[in-house]
Amino acid sequence: MLRATLKGMASRKARLVLTSLAIVLGTMFVAAAMVLTSTMDKSLSGLVADAYEGVDGVVTPTSADAQFEEGFGSASNLIPAEALDTITAVDGVDAADGAVEGQINAIGPNGKLVGTFAPTIGFNWESNANQEFYGFQEGTEPAADDEIAVSTKFLADSGFDIGDRVTVYSYTADRAEFTIVGVFNLPGDRDSMAGETMIAFTTPAAQQLMTKGEDVYSAVYLYGDFSTDEVDQALGAGEYKVQTGQEASDELAQGLSVISSVMGYIFLGFGLIAVFVSVFLIINTFTIIVAQRQRELAVLRAMGAGRDQVVRSVLAEALIVGTIASILGLGLGLLLGWGLSLAVGEFMFSGLAVQFTVPATTLWALVVGIGVTILSAVVPAVRASRVPPVAAMREAANPPKPLRTITIAGAVVTLVGTALIALGLSDNLGGEELLGILSGVGIAFVGITLLTPIISKPLVSFLGLLMSWSFTGKLGKLNAGRNPRRTAITASALMIAVALITGIATIVSSLKATTAEALELNLDSDLIVSGLQTGANIPTFASERIDELKALDGVESVGDVYVDFMGAEVDGEGEILSSSQDLDATLKVFGGTVSEGSVTDLAADSVVIDEGTAEKNDLALGDTVEVTFSDGTTTPLRITAILDGYDLTDGWWVSPEQIEHFAIPKPMQAYIAVTDGADLLAVQADVEDVLADEPEVGVTNNAEFVEQQTSGLDTLVNAVQILLALAIIIAIIGVVNTLVLSVLERTRELGLLRAVGMTRGQAWRMITVESIIICLFGAVLGIGVGIGLGWTVQQALESEGLTNFALPWGLIVTYLLVSVVVGLLAALAPAARAAKLNVLGAIAYE
Amino acid sequence: MHHTDHQRSAGAVPRNPEHRNPRHTDTFIESESVVSTASPVKTTAVAAQGVWKAYGSGEAQVVALRDVSVEFASGAFTAIMGPSGSGKSTLMHCLAGLDTTDRGTVIIGDSTVTGLGDKALTKLRRDKIGFIFQQFNLLPTLTAEENITLPAAIAGTKADPDWVKRIIHTLDLTDRLSHKPTELSGGQQQRVACARALATRPDVVFADEPTGNLDTRSGTEVLNFLRTSVDDFGQTIVMVTHDPTAAAYADRVVFLADGQIVEDMADPTADSVIDKMKHFEELVAAAQEEAA
Ligand SMILES: Nc1ncnc2c1ncn2[C@@H]1O[C@H](COP(=O)(O)OP(=O)(O)OP(=O)(O)O)[C@@H](O)[C@H]1O
Ligand SMILES: [Mg+2]
Repeated sequence: MLRATLKGMASRKARLVLTSLAIVLGTMFVAAAMVLTSTMDKSLSGLVADAYEGVDGVVTPTSADAQFEEGFGSASNLIPAEALDTITAVDGVDAADGAVEGQINAIGPNGKLVGTFAPTIGFNWESNANQEFYGFQEGTEPAADDEIAVSTKFLADSGFDIGDRVTVYSYTADRAEFTIVGVFNLPGDRDSMAGETMIAFTTPAAQQLMTKGEDVYSAVYLYGDFSTDEVDQALGAGEYKVQTGQEASDELAQGLSVISSVMGYIFLGFGLIAVFVSVFLIINTFTIIVAQRQRELAVLRAMGAGRDQVVRSVLAEALIVGTIASILGLGLGLLLGWGLSLAVGEFMFSGLAVQFTVPATTLWALVVGIGVTILSAVVPAVRASRVPPVAAMREAANPPKPLRTITIAGAVVTLVGTALIALGLSDNLGGEELLGILSGVGIAFVGITLLTPIISKPLVSFLGLLMSWSFTGKLGKLNAGRNPRRTAITASALMIAVALITGIATIVSSLKATTAEALELNLDSDLIVSGLQTGANIPTFASERIDELKALDGVESVGDVYVDFMGAEVDGEGEILSSSQDLDATLKVFGGTVSEGSVTDLAADSVVIDEGTAEKNDLALGDTVEVTFSDGTTTPLRITAILDGYDLTDGWWVSPEQIEHFAIPKPMQAYIAVTDGADLLAVQADVEDVLADEPEVGVTNNAEFVEQQTSGLDTLVNAVQILLALAIIIAIIGVVNTLVLSVLERTRELGLLRAVGMTRGQAWRMITVESIIICLFGAVLGIGVGIGLGWTVQQALESEGLTNFALPWGLIVTYLLVSVVVGLLAALAPAARAAKLNVLGAIAYE
Repeated sequence: MHHTDHQRSAGAVPRNPEHRNPRHTDTFIESESVVSTASPVKTTAVAAQGVWKAYGSGEAQVVALRDVSVEFASGAFTAIMGPSGSGKSTLMHCLAGLDTTDRGTVIIGDSTVTGLGDKALTKLRRDKIGFIFQQFNLLPTLTAEENITLPAAIAGTKADPDWVKRIIHTLDLTDRLSHKPTELSGGQQQRVACARALATRPDVVFADEPTGNLDTRSGTEVLNFLRTSVDDFGQTIVMVTHDPTAAAYADRVVFLADGQIVEDMADPTADSVIDKMKHFEELVAAAQEEAA
């Protein structure tokens, strides 16, 4: 039987090549994902492996939120200068350098912050004294307190040069001017780790900026041959975190490996989607091969071959194809993984030198490729074994199988999935709602896939109507509807990819609509002052600007918001506190209303809450609560007003007199209502002028604001589209495959049509129409399922604030148009084949 | 004058208009206009002049046609006979513009087929030629009616409805029109193919063993129709066949052997054809003995 299998395969080369291509692509992506993960893991940990090279020990504060504290300058957790002496006194410690590190702001030549998407990090150059971590490029090291050295990236981003004066400040330090005296690079001659810019100061200047001028350090680097235990004991056991350089590196590396594995998982996910899509293609190919071999198989059966032999012969074919294709895919996957790693290293990690590694897990790609091929061939193989020996004698073409079983199965599965979704959405799954909805979506997806053959009948006729204006179009339509199973499986592959993109696009457009509505319907403001957050720090501006804004012509009112995010408490519970210079005006801008009491001229000891919060905490007008601000001040406040429940204004509002106790005593956003009839753009220009000296924020109108808030989402949609391109390519190969096989199968018919006068052009058009119909069918189904998917997610997240449902019309129309183009392209080879057909050869009898 | 009546009393049809079977005349509604289509002046519908055709090259070369010159009068029913491999199908394909000739010319009506490009050949086949093959004549996706009007539909024109109606009526297909080919018997399928071949009123119909796959009864139906279409509609038909009784329906039989025309017999009967064939076999046997 094996010889017969091999001989048969040789005669079906074209088909097998297309099938193999799908397997190759699938395995390729899986292998590439594995390689990317481990290469990036190794490269990133390699990167931080030398972060503490030459450093023998590291002492850091124990507090978990030390990072946060650094940023906001509370010195309580930092290491005091005296500790340095204690450490140096420990046996074997040769030297100890105190490091001051934190996020700072530098104002660029354009008046805005340097570095748009990544923060600027400041540190004291002396902490580098005993290691050669940073490579000095040119100039001198900062020696005077107004001298700084900057990273090459800083120069590139800002446009400054050596000798220029730069204004720098932080949340705890006012602006000060420094002169750039030197330029340095990060290890490996890189200009940045992940896009950030860096400035090195003298230690006093760094402390002035980052530790409120106190003589404390955020880390101490130790050199020498000592025991970390002894250092720990000397500092008062457990007071600080004491690690060897290696331990500190490992900890850093661990954090980074999360990034690389998340990235790897994403690629793996899309690789598996591609593999899943190729399942459809493989099933189709083997089904068609089996159908075409019907005669041959029947003859074999008539000659005494057993059913199991027939199954084995088909599976052997799958095994051979799967193995060859998977090995090829693995090889290409290694290449792709290498290329991707280079690209990611270059663009996401600013020219990181990647250390290419191939993990043993890459072999899983082989298992996946071969396994999927064989599994996909099982159904066609079993079907092949059911070919009765008499089929050898029968002349008639086998009519397509009835769709009853598959339809009933599909309906049941879809119902189960839908029921799960419905139960989940109506909160009837006892706490497992999310799990229920997710598995419901998955199950419904499978169900719909099973239903595609039956859906294909009416839908294909309908889509075909659009093409039926010419006779060739009509023939193409009839051909597309000829074998519903085959058309459905081919289109399903496309459906999956389109459904995923449409689903995500629907969620994104719903998010946008929700954001836009919140702004446009509820917000009585026309201009918004805000900034883009790049690091741990939130963009703010000076309080005085609020009054300047109010004084502008054409400004009716200004709502301002100050927020105390972390560390604030009410009666011992962590809460977020808000405040406003003029709560009356702010409420008006947001559209909030007062239910009881008054919010005008809030006394220092008053607090305003909304109905919901009052109810939750069992509070009423006149009650008193104990409020602790993040600077540690605790004071009793009396409830002097209660607001009507309203998303945008719910929470705790304290008097503006308390703002000084906030971690960030500056406004973060301002909402400006423009006088009726005033020129919006003119007012916006005036506001811009007021903000000229506010590097962190800018002014946008509502439309721009929505755009700004949701621009990241567009990037997400684009990224998903790129990643799904692979699945789409496989789906297109599937269409090509099906068409080529159909053309082969219908050689006689084509010959007849050509004999009775069909021109080459008409033959071409006929195949193209069939192709377009299949692609459109896949796209329409995918869009339908995708919308359903998006709707389900939107419903599930409605209580989380995703209140609007909006369709991504632009994308939907684009996908439909693209599917037509894809149909045209997919038909190229098969149609050329049909057009070039040798009429005589086609009609010659066997 | 030969008649085939004595061979198949039920199915045979006299081929001369003056002896037309009244039973058949009844089936035509407008017999007058039909007669007028059969031109009394015999012009040439198809002609081959010095046609050569060889397959392969060198040692393996097979010469399928050697210097074949033959004319087919319009309004006549001609059968081509000959042993297997004698070049019958090849000749027909060359005549119909399905295959190119190596040397010589083929003329259909007033157009020279030889040297035409694919586009022109396609148009010629569509407008001037009808085909009936041994099998696979119909598109499975189309109904019988759609198959009949297929060439017109491809051309983007509409077949003359009265004419199509008459053919369908003659072929007794009226209540089968909405059926798909798989729902038709072999004989019915072949009758649909006949209707299709005639629907565009082609200059000539080529049929390659149209009854080869049919039982005697269905075969007789098809042959009767071909005969009728010649007699009543003045159709020109060239038919390749192995069957002497089928050949007897024709006005003339052209015998091919080894790529050459070896005999041209007018008004054949089954017996005369069988005699000729026996004669050929003897000739072939003698030639083989000589060679041995
Ligand atoms: N495509 C081809 N390639 C090579 N040789 C061919 C081809 N077509 C026909 N021949 C050869 O040409 C010769 C004539 O073939 P043709 O098909 O015309 O014979 P035929 O008279 O129709 O035979 P049959 O009665 O068996 O149908 C044969 O020897 C055949 O082998
Ligand atoms: Mg032949």
